Amino acid sequence: MTHPSQEASNRGRRSFLRSGSAVVALPLLESLGFRKHAAAAKPEVAPKRLVFLGMGFGVTRDTWFPDIKQTGSSYKLSEGLQPLADHKQDLTVIQKLSNQFSTEAHWGSTFWLTGANRYAEPGQSFYNSVSADQIAAETLGRDTRFTSIQLGHKGPDKSGHGPGLSLAWNRQGKPIAALNTPVAAFHRLFSDDGTPLAERQAALQKKRSVLDTVLENARSVGRGLTQTDTDKLDEYFQSIREIEIRLAKEEDWLDVPKVRPKESPKAPDEGLEGFEEVKVMYDLILAAMQVDASRVFTYRQPLDTFITSLGATITAHNMSHYRDGARKEVSKLRDKKQSELLARFIQKLKATPDVGGTTLFDNCTVTLGSNINSIHYLTNCPTVVTGGGSGIQHGRQLVMQDAKTPLCNLWLSLLNASGVKTESHGDSTGQIDELFG
Amino acid sequence: MAMKQTPHLLPIGLLLFQVVFCQATVSSAAPPQAVVPQQHRAVLQEHCFDCHDSQSKEGGVDLQSLSLKIDTVETAERWQKVLAVLNSGEMPPEDEPQITPKQKTLFLDDLSAQIVVARDVLTDSAGVITMRRLNRREYENTVFDLVGVRVDAKDLPSDANSQGFDTAGGSLFFSSDQFEQYLTLANQALEAAFVVGKKPKQRTVRRESESLINPRFMRLRTKLKKDFDRAGQWRATNGQQSPAEFGFIDEGDVQFHERLHRQQYASYVRYLEKPESKTGVLLNKMFNGAIVDTITIPNNWPDGEYILRARVAGLEGSQPKQRFLEYGIAGDGARSGELKVIGCNQVTGTISDPQILEIPLTVKEERGFGLRQRQPNSRAATRTAFLQAQVKTGVGPPAALWIDWIEVTGPVLEVWPPPSTSKIFFKGMWWHQPDEDTYAREIIQRFAERAFRIKPPSQSFVDKLFKLYAESRRDGEKFPTAIRQPLAVIMASPGFLYQIEPASMLLTEGIDEQNQQTLELDALQPKELQSKSTQTQPKQSTGQLVKQSSERLAEQSRELNDLELAVRLAYFLWSSPPDQTLYAAAKRGDLKRPSLLSQQVNRMLDDPRADELIARFAHQWLAMERLDFFQFDAKQYPEFDESVKQAARQEVYATIRSMLNENRPLGDLLNPNYVVINDLMADYYGIEGVQGGEFRKVAIPEGSPRGGLLAMAAILAMGSDGTRSSPVERGAWVMRKILDNPPPPAPANVPQLSRLIGKLLSPREIQQAHMEEPQCAQCHRKIDPIGFGMQNFDAAGKWREKVMLQQTAGKRVIKKKLVRIDPQGQLPDGSPFENFVQLREQIALKDNQFARGFTEALIEYALGRPYGFSDEGLRERMISRAGKQDGSIRDYIMALVQSKKFRTKK
Repeated sequence: MTHPSQEASNRGRRSFLRSGSAVVALPLLESLGFRKHAAAAKPEVAPKRLVFLGMGFGVTRDTWFPDIKQTGSSYKLSEGLQPLADHKQDLTVIQKLSNQFSTEAHWGSTFWLTGANRYAEPGQSFYNSVSADQIAAETLGRDTRFTSIQLGHKGPDKSGHGPGLSLAWNRQGKPIAALNTPVAAFHRLFSDDGTPLAERQAALQKKRSVLDTVLENARSVGRGLTQTDTDKLDEYFQSIREIEIRLAKEEDWLDVPKVRPKESPKAPDEGLEGFEEVKVMYDLILAAMQVDASRVFTYRQPLDTFITSLGATITAHNMSHYRDGARKEVSKLRDKKQSELLARFIQKLKATPDVGGTTLFDNCTVTLGSNINSIHYLTNCPTVVTGGGSGIQHGRQLVMQDAKTPLCNLWLSLLNASGVKTESHGDSTGQIDELFG
Repeated sequence: MAMKQTPHLLPIGLLLFQVVFCQATVSSAAPPQAVVPQQHRAVLQEHCFDCHDSQSKEGGVDLQSLSLKIDTVETAERWQKVLAVLNSGEMPPEDEPQITPKQKTLFLDDLSAQIVVARDVLTDSAGVITMRRLNRREYENTVFDLVGVRVDAKDLPSDANSQGFDTAGGSLFFSSDQFEQYLTLANQALEAAFVVGKKPKQRTVRRESESLINPRFMRLRTKLKKDFDRAGQWRATNGQQSPAEFGFIDEGDVQFHERLHRQQYASYVRYLEKPESKTGVLLNKMFNGAIVDTITIPNNWPDGEYILRARVAGLEGSQPKQRFLEYGIAGDGARSGELKVIGCNQVTGTISDPQILEIPLTVKEERGFGLRQRQPNSRAATRTAFLQAQVKTGVGPPAALWIDWIEVTGPVLEVWPPPSTSKIFFKGMWWHQPDEDTYAREIIQRFAERAFRIKPPSQSFVDKLFKLYAESRRDGEKFPTAIRQPLAVIMASPGFLYQIEPASMLLTEGIDEQNQQTLELDALQPKELQSKSTQTQPKQSTGQLVKQSSERLAEQSRELNDLELAVRLAYFLWSSPPDQTLYAAAKRGDLKRPSLLSQQVNRMLDDPRADELIARFAHQWLAMERLDFFQFDAKQYPEFDESVKQAARQEVYATIRSMLNENRPLGDLLNPNYVVINDLMADYYGIEGVQGGEFRKVAIPEGSPRGGLLAMAAILAMGSDGTRSSPVERGAWVMRKILDNPPPPAPANVPQLSRLIGKLLSPREIQQAHMEEPQCAQCHRKIDPIGFGMQNFDAAGKWREKVMLQQTAGKRVIKKKLVRIDPQGQLPDGSPFENFVQLREQIALKDNQFARGFTEALIEYALGRPYGFSDEGLRERMISRAGKQDGSIRDYIMALVQSKKFRTKK
């Protein structure tokens, strides 16, 4: 089916958006830099990829952090990081990074990638700004089916992440939703519904008519609202705008079937929880990288069910307030299992070939960490970076000279090193040059 | 104040006038100021200025110029940093003279409190109400009202926000996936709502309970015996022959089958010998879990309302506390005793005179239902109980309940087609209509108007919706499929999803859309602003101008019109849209008249839909989500099973419902002479003479510690971690929820008390250690004593005199000590108490503080925005107005609804 009037109706929709709301102005699709049928040809140069793994409540302080006095390549891995021993040469532990504005002792993820001050906006009790992954997605996500992928876990936050729906926050500082189960993530990434192209084209067109229709209503209810309400309704417009962009992308990708890697992951079981759930999510990230479905990933990991699946009978919050004894044992076990999973992930990344004789590991940058150090401590955020994508000289422990070095300096460095030219991010004061040798 | 003299009989209209009058004077009062008390400047002078005065500014920190008045975000940020370095012990540096503990405690106490005040002032939204999106439960209720079908919105993003209620518009975001989720849910709801064809027949499925269990147990009995005999035959060969010749893998396999026999055989034999097992099922605990008697509704029967009946009896000699029957959804785990418990009934029938229980069921997707004798939902706990009894009797504990049969009848349909269909196809089925397209347009028009809470949709919107229908028809879809799409789109539109309250009525009523923008700009936009914004933002000029004009509108607030007020009222009291009666009252203008408004409010509070307000408000106000944060250790607290946990939660709601119905004063939540419980809670509390699952008022017997929130199992269980009671959690909760004196947020970076590691300390000793460190003492000196006053309740809220201390090394318990509980202490204001009862009496004297906290929460919930300083006048008026009546929750609600703020869009 062809729709000669489509172009005209696109323009129409854009002008609706403009008149309905100040913030939303749809850029022309071309300016988004879509490459027609981007995936049809495999990229010649291996693309850079970024993965952010947020772990919620902090680690066991005295057994996770390597001795702070041992800097550079001569440092010894700590007990909690021991499972990563095989990859010691390919990872970097960084100490003394933190978000200066953090005061919430239970919010390990809310500001982790943003560095925002929750009180920055007078008259509002909560403020956040864009997260580093979303900055990256604007550039790295152009040529992939999914601009970025957010993963999370089910249920209310009992894992020390704080407000938010994922690690990601959009340009407006609003939370971005996550795929909260391995099943949901699998289907989004790899399932095709198998309907013929013409039908999918028609369906796409229908979706556009639907958007047109709701915008009609949005425009009329948006009339005469207070400033605050206009801003609120902008979230709705913004959401429609994002769907518009996604549809445009979908259209571009319509005749490209979703691919699965050769050793394709099977559809995960429903109801996976904890350790197995995280493991499968890592596998899905890997598989998505393999077929270049997306290049930017965040994962807000379950912790409460994680420790339950390891046999603990206490809550994650309780664990995080460990003192010597059973609770501390749980916390240490968590550190160990967390490191085991990361080691397994690194192993697989190294074993998976990418373009031009490289491996996935060579081209990605994976950061595991949290805004919370341990217990209620918010300084010296636990941070492990691995992967060859940013050209970091691994195999070292870096201890920042200035104990108040912004975590955002790390994000800024990783963005630029991954080809995302960025002047500053959050409260960054500059890049961390030591990372690169 | 003059209002104090107002006689009781003054007409409410006049009262309202005075209220409004007072409000004007109160709201002009300045907001409080956050000021660090002057006295602490000496501490800074002595310990900080050496390095951080305006000359030295070491590390770029100048404390000398730092204002004691915290009135900007920047000042707050700088003081926050001072607080942080003091808390973390980073400053003063180790080799410098330290601040004395007493000075430091007082300084930290004041500073953290003032920062809280500063944050509150700086984040105060000045009473602006942000447009509210329907939260998940409002969405579910509203969909139900609209199409008559209950959808499950649990997959929508969570509405929980860090501090306030799920009604706070500012925190109700809209993320990009959400739109599609709304469309999907709407399609599901509509698909379920369209029921065409003949009325389904009511059918019954019945199971004689023994028919499934007995064959299974006989099989198991035979198999265990056979394997055991084979093992015996092999043993008789004295190892001469290989176990494989007898069908075993190896000797270990032989031992395994012998063990199974030892553990289980006798229990099946004994079960099948019991005369009651010939005619029904005995709900025993077995080695592999509790027996769950199940029934399955055939898959081809429709979803809907059903009735489950069961003929049941309690067995002679069983303990009364065991004679409770749990019912719920039985999945794959039912064979090992698992059940997703829906409810629990006491069984009063006997074997000679069984009773027939009737339980209404809502059937949706899940088809298997089961009945079980009440117990922890834990196979491990069941096995422990089994093994303990086995030591004494050779078999598991005796059953307390017997089931003869179970049957399910349904679907129960009062009218056909169901209301869900006739709500949409309001003139009947489309094939009876002269013109389907005309009918489609009428359906769309009418549906949109109902969905938008009787605001008529614009013509162009209806046109587009109709086009969606028409295109589907053209593509060959049948009428119901084609009409579904526009209706689903309506349910994903802002007019449905948001409570729209424009800044000015001028702009929404009867203005031709084409001229709309010109009118806005001409009428409300000063010319210079227009040109200015066009210059700076050429690309977004149109939007910018609209924004500017809205800003101007926002400066004023306006009275809600009658329909808007009806909507606000309905979502406050019901979390649902208005019903026809309320709409009619609004249209007649009744809501403008205080007495008629009161009538509506009373009617609505008496309606079961107000249970939503009670439960959801109470749940959030009292922070009851904590009750679901952890599994209670079933071995330690076997009685605190799923049923008791649910009933305990229900007790809180039922108590408030009873107070609402009987106009009891709010203070009844603190120290009443009654409890509102059912049979299960009565059993849990050791209160006799309560039969039946419904909650009712019961006088507290002599010697029982129960009565009031502080002694409710749910509240006490929240103040634990599922294993141990937590005096800190309980104390902090009382400070927050009862005394309206919330401690500042737990400070970051406070060093742990390392010298305590490896010592066996009573909670009291740990508390004393807390007092030594100023960083801890600043709050814990207030929090902990209250919590210790409640230590006589264990983690599950049962009374105890002593507590067991344990010291562990790794996972091993190396020391244990039983210590007597010492509950004495004092409230933050110094009021002393010797024990829990006195603590409760002391707290009950603080009913003013309690009323304040409650009122603030109610304002926040109802207006859908954080409580702010500008609300203090409203709060005081509500308290004083309610105080003139019974001081009941109903009076508070009435005072709030009649207030100007509730009737105003700001």
